[in-house]
Amino acid sequence: MLSRVASHLYWLARYMERAENMARILDVGQTLALLAQSKDDTETALEPLIITDHLKDFQATGLVATTESVARYLTWDPDQPSSIANCLEATRENARAVRGSITSEMWECINDVWLQLQTKRRQGNDPINTEFYDWVKQCSHLFRGITFATIRRDQPYHFIRLGTFIERADNTARILSVKQSAKHNGGQGDESDYYSLSAVLRSVSALEAYRDTYKDSIDARRVAELLVFHPTLPRSLRFCYDEIEQLLEHLPAGPSRLPRRWAAQMKARLTYGHVDEAYELGLLDFLEGFLKENVGLGEAVQTAYLELK
Amino acid sequence: MPEVLKAIDGLTPLGPLTGVFDEMLMEQGTPRSHYSAYQEWLSGISGTSMEAKRVEADLIFRRLGITFSVYGEEGGTERLIPSDVVPRIISSEEWAKLEKGLAQRVKAINRFLHDIYHDQDILKAGKIPPEQIYSNDQFQVAMVGIDLPNQTYAHIVGVDVVRHSDGEYYVLEDNLRVPSGVSYMLSNRKMMMRLFPDLFRRYAVRPVEHYPALLLQTLQAAADVSNPTVVLLTPGRFNSAYFEHTFLAQQMGIELVEGQDLFVQDGFVYMRTTSGPEKVDVIYRRLDDHFLDPLTFRQDSMLGVPGLLSSYRLGRVVIANAIGTGVADDKSIYPYVPEMIRFYLDEEPILKNVPTFMCRKPDELKHVLAHLPELVVKEVHGAGGYGMLVGPTSSKAEIEAFRRVLKANPSNYIAQPTLALSSCPTFVAEGIAPRHIDLRPFVLVGKDIRMVPGGLTRVALRKGSLVVNSSQGGGTKDTWVVD
Repeated sequence: MLSRVASHLYWLARYMERAENMARILDVGQTLALLAQSKDDTETALEPLIITDHLKDFQATGLVATTESVARYLTWDPDQPSSIANCLEATRENARAVRGSITSEMWECINDVWLQLQTKRRQGNDPINTEFYDWVKQCSHLFRGITFATIRRDQPYHFIRLGTFIERADNTARILSVKQSAKHNGGQGDESDYYSLSAVLRSVSALEAYRDTYKDSIDARRVAELLVFHPTLPRSLRFCYDEIEQLLEHLPAGPSRLPRRWAAQMKARLTYGHVDEAYELGLLDFLEGFLKENVGLGEAVQTAYLELK
Repeated sequence: MPEVLKAIDGLTPLGPLTGVFDEMLMEQGTPRSHYSAYQEWLSGISGTSMEAKRVEADLIFRRLGITFSVYGEEGGTERLIPSDVVPRIISSEEWAKLEKGLAQRVKAINRFLHDIYHDQDILKAGKIPPEQIYSNDQFQVAMVGIDLPNQTYAHIVGVDVVRHSDGEYYVLEDNLRVPSGVSYMLSNRKMMMRLFPDLFRRYAVRPVEHYPALLLQTLQAAADVSNPTVVLLTPGRFNSAYFEHTFLAQQMGIELVEGQDLFVQDGFVYMRTTSGPEKVDVIYRRLDDHFLDPLTFRQDSMLGVPGLLSSYRLGRVVIANAIGTGVADDKSIYPYVPEMIRFYLDEEPILKNVPTFMCRKPDELKHVLAHLPELVVKEVHGAGGYGMLVGPTSSKAEIEAFRRVLKANPSNYIAQPTLALSSCPTFVAEGIAPRHIDLRPFVLVGKDIRMVPGGLTRVALRKGSLVVNSSQGGGTKDTWVVD
């Protein structure tokens, strides 16, 4: 398979996943802003920017930070590469470059999403409501489902999945680290903690999983345990790395040594680690270390398979 | 919405234009025999339901992303080529003659290309003036003396054919470089079968869906090695025909590569893959000569592969079509094609050429200058309808301005009588009305010369227009050869 094609597939999956994650973060953020418990409006408003590491970009625009202006910026701003609109655009551009390597159903799905996006932009005056974010999530789910159902389990599939999980691990770690830094190690939840933590869980579709697993009130340490170490929750770091390690096994063996070593080390830390140890180290430091290594893995994959040498 | 589209009565095609051959209707308005079943079917279809079909067709094309890119256009760079819902039908007898004529023509052109890059017998015999070859910038000196497998230069040829008011087919142009449009031929058929299955039950329409398989066989046969690796080289997704490149690569199951995916090492061409370098044997290129190799041609081109030509000259890779085929589809060479057929094949041409005046000849120039308002004057190396004069539709001032340009450099121009392109009923706002059409069959040269029945019919959707180019309001039609 062509390296350039692999690169387009990997990035199309990352952009689709990024669009979905952004929609999740913004949707939860807006719901939270509606609750009276939010103590500091500006702080809450800025949170999506901090999570996605776009605070400086936003400040450079000179816009006043409100929940709404931030949401509009991260959803529609043409100059923000990670805005949902740009992510969906980039998904299609990458797909268009490799139409021959994905199934026609996958292409039609991505193209259809893009066409609908144009319509929504024109008719809906750049919507930032729950209906819109639900739509983005549905699109991502649909694409994943179509991919799962139509494409052969071959290199294109593996590069798409690899992009998905590297992006997803990054996103989960970011959400958790921002929410935790606001809370320090607080475990005796007051009301605002409750809403904040349940927002974290909802933004990664894990609220129900939490209830099923712990059958108890929401506390920060358990939330961390669930999102970092849980083996079967599809958005936990552990789950992502179980997948990543398996996906790398399917890729051509020649250049695989470095990416596989990265992945194996990270997986071992997540498999045999414990939330108490993470807290001893300081959860924030733990997550920051993870984020760096996740980027490192992405670079190793890039060098081994995707770059035109 | 115009009244006709709201009508619930069956549709009746509007009468044919005077002085124009209509593909469906004879002068008195009755259908030709191969169209009578269509006419009958049409009389049971209302304007409303036809409009619904048209809208559905548009929607599906857009959803599938069957578009072409337009450079420098505001608001999205992708446009749909309208696909008309009325088919262009050709009887199998007529097609048999066209097929023979096309094969003959393409065979002679390949013989000519081999000759011109080797012994140049045709020049020695005095059939074509040597300066017509040497002054042509499509003549590639780098190809002189290079032996190609099967002596094939043009593997894929798109021949533009029109039908004049005398009912005869004339060849307008031989496209020997990177002819495009075949994906629209295939998409149109798919669409029509989906929209009008009942019509396909009434007609035995000869299939075209095997074109990609034929193309792959043609490309594989172009190399001397067994089981060759074939790739399609595209300029990239900003090229206007990018949809077609992806479509064909996918249908043939071959890699779609860009210049940056290929490199030359030790005389061989490789592609960069996730498992390391992989050797390439045949390149179906959709990129002009001048962009292929920055070491030989345009140095500023990022689209090509450095060193490709050296590998090609060593015979380590096959490029289809060959480099330097453009010398034979130039407008200054076109008038000599009938002569090529006689010279190389010792046969009389089956298909006619449009009579062409070469302005470099003083007496022909004199005739052209005296008849400018009736003629079409074209630049010898021009393409896409630029730098030309269409006498009948030009103002006096335009004609006089052109006269000065022509006189200043006569050898840069040829002139032809204005052809009355045949018309075909087409579904437009006024109903089923006649619009002018042409035809581009695709000829494949492998071990044998093969083609799928029909080709791409282009239609000028604007009333009275003779310009079928998609960039200027043209659409396409499904083309049926029926038994």
